[in-house]
Amino acid sequence: MMQDISTYCSATYTWGQFAPAFILVGLAAALIMADTFIKTLPKRAYSLIAAIGALLVACYVYDGEHANAFGVLACLGTGLSILLAYDYTKICCASIAGGTGDEGTGEFYALPLVACAGILCLTQARDLIMVFVSLEVVTLTSYVLAGYFRRNQGSVEAGIKYLVLGAMSTGIIVFGAAWYFGMSGTFLLDASVTIDTLRGGSVGCGTVALGFLMSVALLFVGAFFKVGAAPMHIWIPDVYQGAPTPTTTFLAVASKTAGFALLCALVSPFRPLAVPGIPVADMLITAFAIVAAATLLIGNLGALFQSNAKRLLGYSSIGQAGFILVFFVYLGGRFETFSAMYMLAYTLATAAAFFAVAMVRTQRGSEEISAFRGLGQTNPRTAFLITVSFASLAGVPLTFGFIVKMYSFIALVAAMQSWSCLIWLLPVMIVCATAGFYYYFKIIRAMYWEKPQADDKPLCVPFCTGLVLTLCAITLIIMGTWPLIRAMQ
Amino acid sequence: MTIPLAHYLIFSGILFSIGLAGVLIRKNILVVFMCLEMMLSAANISLVAFSRAQGTDGIPVYDAQVLSLFIVAIAAAEVSIGLALIVAMFRATRSVDSTSLNTLKD
Repeated sequence: MMQDISTYCSATYTWGQFAPAFILVGLAAALIMADTFIKTLPKRAYSLIAAIGALLVACYVYDGEHANAFGVLACLGTGLSILLAYDYTKICCASIAGGTGDEGTGEFYALPLVACAGILCLTQARDLIMVFVSLEVVTLTSYVLAGYFRRNQGSVEAGIKYLVLGAMSTGIIVFGAAWYFGMSGTFLLDASVTIDTLRGGSVGCGTVALGFLMSVALLFVGAFFKVGAAPMHIWIPDVYQGAPTPTTTFLAVASKTAGFALLCALVSPFRPLAVPGIPVADMLITAFAIVAAATLLIGNLGALFQSNAKRLLGYSSIGQAGFILVFFVYLGGRFETFSAMYMLAYTLATAAAFFAVAMVRTQRGSEEISAFRGLGQTNPRTAFLITVSFASLAGVPLTFGFIVKMYSFIALVAAMQSWSCLIWLLPVMIVCATAGFYYYFKIIRAMYWEKPQADDKPLCVPFCTGLVLTLCAITLIIMGTWPLIRAMQ
Repeated sequence: MTIPLAHYLIFSGILFSIGLAGVLIRKNILVVFMCLEMMLSAANISLVAFSRAQGTDGIPVYDAQVLSLFIVAIAAAEVSIGLALIVAMFRATRSVDSTSLNTLKD
């Protein structure tokens, strides 16, 4: 069918690219071994070791030769979610071992490291075999983590729902990969392969281009599942609500980073085609605009009526993914940089929000929004820090969330210079950004406007929670005000 | 006489569609699982067929067969996790029916 496949050759990798992933897997293996053979060490210590390991690897990836923003974000998110598990030990022990003993909780702290290694490989992937294997490392680990609290029906249900829908998206991805190979003769994700195949490959036949577009569409469906874009978002609210809170944090920040790294790898080959008048570019941009609009509407309008804080954050993660997808609508732009920047703002604010939810859950026994009642009176400083993170998610000016949301609007306006028909997306984004103010402020209102009940004691803030809430709030405010200070000078 | 590529592709397409339909329609989680495996097998058939078709002089392009080996390995891992979760689910709800998964909803 094609004679010139040898010119593409396979993607080449160096061992150095995967050094951070090897470190993480080694650490995870060491922890699992220690979990089995060293009985005297409390399991809680593993979470601290794993979290510090992940955060150190984040620094290593940041400094390293193969620096990659998504890799840093993945390590940061993993580190934060394991740190959350440290403060969540009481619930972990109760839900895993069925009592106060910590038997069997060791893997819960080590497994996110393996998933993080998968994400690091995904950020380096330049062909579909690597994409598939590293993506499966992430998802298989996530299934285990989502269903880890096996005595808790919600957790098991979340695990099964995630597994069935996730495996379906895996099936769709591999079917897409098979057709990608069939049409282009290679698994390489590269602009030259895309352009050649869209011209009909070596046989110059239009059917080849059509089959290639189908394969790319199937691959996009898989990536949309991972980032939680409509219509592949159905799993998010259920799984986020049912899964253990540390796992939910991992899914919300690290796993979503993996999704956007995958989406960038799949979309990048199409960037040279982003010229008005090329039918493929028009088609792709229209498709992205429709998906982004549907994601924004479903995420933001679905969140309006939620009363469970974890479910609300689930819908919020769909809504935020919609704003990130707008960067991809501007196909010719630097969507990698801007989606990574948006993910940073989202990661910091969402991780802080989940720390707050976990703290309230541990001490007040409920994940409902009403459990945040009266924190403004009982814990004024913590309430302020939580307010900052939710304000950043909503996009209040002077927070990082505002800056990145503004960039999302700027990307759309830039895209409109070439594709003026995209203007219909603007009112959708405005409506959704406004809706965000309503539902994020539900939690802020519960903290400041509702009176604490007579038996509500002030929450005792655990060390890690306090540290993370403070650091996230400070970073969000500094990143939000710094561009203004620069502009004034 | 060799079987043309199109026959393999149509077969794998039908298998994939049956799998996808089964995942969406069937209520028994175990059957849903078999359908998921069917989707992966469909992809494997396409891959091996394409690997032959792309090859020259009777030597297939091995990239595709490597991916299909990875798919088999990962499908096995997925099933082991899935069956463990189904056992946990059966203990919790005394049922393997997807309609009994109803604690999480709007």
